[in-house]
This record gives sequence, C-alpha cells and structure tokens, in this order.
Amino acid sequence: MEDGRFVSLVGPSGSGKSSLLRAVIGLQRPLAGIVESGLAPSDIGILFQDDALLPWKMARDNVALGLTFQGMDRRHALERADIWLDRLGLGGLGGRYPRHLSGGQRKRVALAQVLALTPKLLLMDEPFASLDAIVRARIIQEVAALVERERISVLLVTHDLEEAISLSDTVYLLSRGPRARIMRDYEVPIPRPRDPVRARMHPAFAPLYDNLWSDLSREVGGAPEAEAAA
Amino acid sequence: MWRNPRLAMLRQAVVLAVLLTLWEMAGRAHLLNPLYMPSPSQIAAALGDLFGSGRIWPHLEATFAAALGGLAIGIVVGIVLGVAAALLPFLAELIEPVMTVLNAIPRVVLAPLFVIWMGVGLASKVALSFILVAVLIFFTVFGGIRQVDRRLVERIVTLGGTRWSLVRHVYLPSVAAWVLGSLKVAVGFAFTGAVVGEFVAASRGLGYLMSFAQSTFNCALMFAVIFLILVVVLVIFAAAGRLEKYLLRWS
Repeated sequence: MEDGRFVSLVGPSGSGKSSLLRAVIGLQRPLAGIVESGLAPSDIGILFQDDALLPWKMARDNVALGLTFQGMDRRHALERADIWLDRLGLGGLGGRYPRHLSGGQRKRVALAQVLALTPKLLLMDEPFASLDAIVRARIIQEVAALVERERISVLLVTHDLEEAISLSDTVYLLSRGPRARIMRDYEVPIPRPRDPVRARMHPAFAPLYDNLWSDLSREVGGAPEAEAAA
Repeated sequence: MWRNPRLAMLRQAVVLAVLLTLWEMAGRAHLLNPLYMPSPSQIAAALGDLFGSGRIWPHLEATFAAALGGLAIGIVVGIVLGVAAALLPFLAELIEPVMTVLNAIPRVVLAPLFVIWMGVGLASKVALSFILVAVLIFFTVFGGIRQVDRRLVERIVTLGGTRWSLVRHVYLPSVAAWVLGSLKVAVGFAFTGAVVGEFVAASRGLGYLMSFAQSTFNCALMFAVIFLILVVVLVIFAAAGRLEKYLLRWS
C-alpha cells in the first residue's frame, strides 16, 4: 500500500473485516498467517465505530492522552490537543465532558485523538455508522480532506458501498466467512483530490456501484434482500 | 399553588405542619396516652433537654466514631478485596463464596457475637459497621471491574498506553465511580451498624440511648433519638450526595 492510498474492505457480515483490522493493530492474533505493515505500532491509528472516549476526561484531555503516552509532557500535549480540536471544528469545546457533546462532536474528538498522533496509516472500522446522514456526510468530507492533506494512508472497513466507493482508490470485496478471502478488487477511477459527496455524481460511480452490488449480493447468497438482513 | 410542581416542597411542608398540629392537639386533649405516644412538644422538650444539658455529645461522638470508622475501613478493605478478587481468579474462588454468604444473611445478626469477641466498647460497633460496608463495597468493585468497558481498554491500548495507563486512566476512575455510586447506601449501612451495635450492648451512643429509653419506658426520649438519627443520616446523605455530584460531574 503506497503512502496516501485510501482503500476499503467490503464484504458480507462475518467475513472477518473487523478481525483483520484488529490483527493489523495487534488487538487480536491472526488465526493463521502473519500481518506485515512495515510500520511501528505508533504509526498506526485506529478509529472504531464507538467513539470510546473516557467519560471522566474532558475532550482536550482525551485528545492529549495518546500524546502523553508517547512521552510528551502534559502541557504541550494539551496545546497540541487544542490545535487538533480547532482543526476539527471543535474550538472552544475542549473543556466539555463527552456526555455534553453530540454524537458527531464525540466522533470528531475521537478523530482528533487519533490524528494528533500523526499516524501514517489510519484504520477505520465502520467509523461513521452511528451518525445521522447529514453529520455523517460532513465528517466524511472533512476526513477525506484531512487524510489527503496529511498524506495518511487509510484502510476503511464498511458495509456501505457508497461510502467505500466515494472515498477509496481501491475497494476490496471479501468473500463470505469463515475462511474469507479477497474476491475481487475494484479500482475507483474518480480523480483525487475529490469531495466524497460530489464523487457520487461522477459518471464512473453508478456502474462501479452496480458492479460491486451484484458481486456482493451473489456472495451473500443470491437474493439481494439477504444483505439487508445481514 | 396546588398544581405548580415547583411548589411541591411547600405543599409537603404544609401537610406535615397540619399533621404535627393535629398530633399536638390530640395529645393536649388527652386522646393519646403520653406513655406510648408523646406529643411533638414533649419530644421537642426531650430533645432540648438532651442538647441543653450537653448529655447528647458523648453519645453523638460515639456513634459518629463507630459509623465513620467502620465506613472508612469498610471502603478500603472492600476495594482492596474487590480489586484483588477481580484480578486474581484463584483469590476470587476463595473470597466470593464467603462474601456471597455474608451478603445473603442479615449481617446485623453478628452484633452479639462481636460484643462477645470485642467487648461493649467502640471496637464491636466499628466491626459491625465495617462488615456491613465492606461486603457492599466488595461486590460493587468486584462486579464493576469485571464489567469495565472493553472498548475503553482497547482505546487506551491502541493509543499506545501501558498496563499502568490502563490502571490509571480506566480502572481507577471506574472503581472510584462505582464506590461513589454506592456511597450513600454505604453511609446508611455504616450508621445502621453503629446504632444496632450500640443497641445490643454499649455504654454510649445513640443506639445505647434508645436501649436506655426502651428499658425506662421513656417514649419521648425514644422519639427524640429516632428523630436525631434521622437528621444525622439525612445530613450525611446530603454531604455524600454533594461529594458524589462533584466528583462524578462528568456523568
């Protein structure tokens, strides 16, 4: 995977998408095989579906946490945290506890927490699934712009084909588990930098979506309804 | 005024005042036998006498010492045992059944035993308060640690935290939150232990005063002491509530 690439993994439930991410970050041991990222653990950031902020720490303390783990002193870490909160549009909210932030704001804090560590590779596991449509579109736009600017490579796991196509350079389709493998990969010919919301209007989008959808449906078990149930 | 929810306190106060007045009037009209049911003014007089003569202070001091001593030791021991049992499974095998039994029985039945073991002094009351509180805190902490949010643990690990960071940023705050969450119940337990212990056998304390009132058929004193215990526990409850609210302001 080259620097700055954005790839997605899509596949039926149970194909091991999440396990793969967890193996890359070292939270889970792969059943077989090895994980090679060529990166130090501190160069890899991960964003889960749950924001999982420490409820007893204010937003800025949550963001500063990873920096202090890397040995930065608290004062500098908090300054960096404020800068990242500003960048994610949360200026002035650093003193709030997670409970007093909206879902979208919490997601932004979690994002700031990861990006403040300046990872080279960002793993995201269904990161936006819990957000409502408008907030979700806005955050996706901002994340796309940020990773593009910082030249961060991204590996995104998602159920959402539109999200996968509109953000990625390459989309990988996993087969049904157990013993899932990569079925196919799809290059996304939409040029970058791109706006993920507008990317859906690109002429290449619809045919690619159609293609992926029929392959995925077949993998899930024929009937397109099966995906909805999955 | 009868519907506004903000005036609920006022309505409650009015009803209480009416009931107390009726009670007082019934007493003055000799409808109540003062031997069994002294009137509010007689109870107030008994209270006034307790404080006026200064007789009450050694009793209050004894009860507070026993309750707060038992509370403090109970919390510390409960946390230590809870953490140890949650982290060391072989220890949990030994401690948990004992705690479960202690939890199942009404622990105040141990009061006479503690008096035999430790005498009628302060120690037996502290012990009873302690056993009431420690079992409660043990289960709070033991159950809590096993239910620590896995996502928080993973978050700290993926941000590069060490084992110590986990203890400091996840486990300790979680334990503190659970203990604070049961602090009010623990305070109630601590005073129950102290008063029951004194009731069984003592020479000082509010519980002793009640036992004295009972043996001398002094119902006014009995009511006065009940009222006093009520006030004491309510004040401590309020203080514990304040502390909880401040320390758990994030929740």
